[in-house]
Amino acid sequence: MLARIVRVIVVVAILGLVVTLALAFRRDPHDIRTGTVNKPAPAFTLQRLDGSGQISLADLSGKVVVVNFFASWCLPCIQENPALVRVYERYRSSDVVMLGVNFQESRENGLAYVQRMGMAWTTVADDDGRVALSYGVFGPPETFFIGSDGIVAGRHIGPIDEETLVTAIEKLRGQASSR
Amino acid sequence: MKARILIAVAVLALAGALVFAARPHETTADERVDQITTELRCPVCQGLSVKDSTSETARQMRDLVAQRVREGKTDAEIEAEFRSAYGDWIFLSPPVASWSGLVWLVPLAALAGGLVLVTARLRTGGATEPAEPTSTQVAALRERVAREEAAEG
Repeated sequence: MLARIVRVIVVVAILGLVVTLALAFRRDPHDIRTGTVNKPAPAFTLQRLDGSGQISLADLSGKVVVVNFFASWCLPCIQENPALVRVYERYRSSDVVMLGVNFQESRENGLAYVQRMGMAWTTVADDDGRVALSYGVFGPPETFFIGSDGIVAGRHIGPIDEETLVTAIEKLRGQASSR
Repeated sequence: MKARILIAVAVLALAGALVFAARPHETTADERVDQITTELRCPVCQGLSVKDSTSETARQMRDLVAQRVREGKTDAEIEAEFRSAYGDWIFLSPPVASWSGLVWLVPLAALAGGLVLVTARLRTGGATEPAEPTSTQVAALRERVAREEAAEG
């Protein structure tokens, strides 16, 4: 009787381990669902890197917003930049807004990087890091997708490619048009 | 006699020092910041608390905690702000009332299971039921007995 109980416990423990590992390995490591996903995007008002005033997330209400945290000292940011440039050109005259948030860097260095890399979209300075902290950023690059309803629909940790960007944007545009 | 008095004085002095050290006192703002940042995980470090890390992210987190303390926010409100951004992961000790609290419960469950097994084993005196012989074993045994009887004549 005791041996049977022990066998059952061992089998249940092994099954539990297998199920846990299977679920864990199915997760995309770039898509860590921390607290901000599926919740209203934290509001912010930040200075533009070029010094031409401020921009608030509230100003972009009703639009699909792609918020990308970047820094010039971040090599994966350089790696992902061509994809961001192509996607920006694709959607520049649409209801999609791209917003670059400079992460832990001086405005001078951030602006020089933006000009060097051909980033024509709006870029802002997060001087004290409060916006990055409110979004739960681990480190650049990180990209957040905010729907027209103001909810953070997803995030991507690490360098992002064009296909991932377009897929996420089109999903949010589809949801916006069906509302 | 003298030794006893000395021991009594030493014990009293120790007890007095402990009572003095443990006396309730108003926690200062800096102490609160230290307490909260000791519990928070530095997002860009390997297993370091925000208090212990020298990274820029940890510094920004300490500044934010200090500001919230100055604003009169409670510890729970400040922790909730970080939880809403990073989830329970941001705490070095996962809260018990959450999925990550399983890391506390699983060892306890394993210990309880072990105690149950040991208790059951002690009650039965460690005896296990003899296994029933198979029909092949019985047949072989009968054949052997018959052979030995025949050999004995």
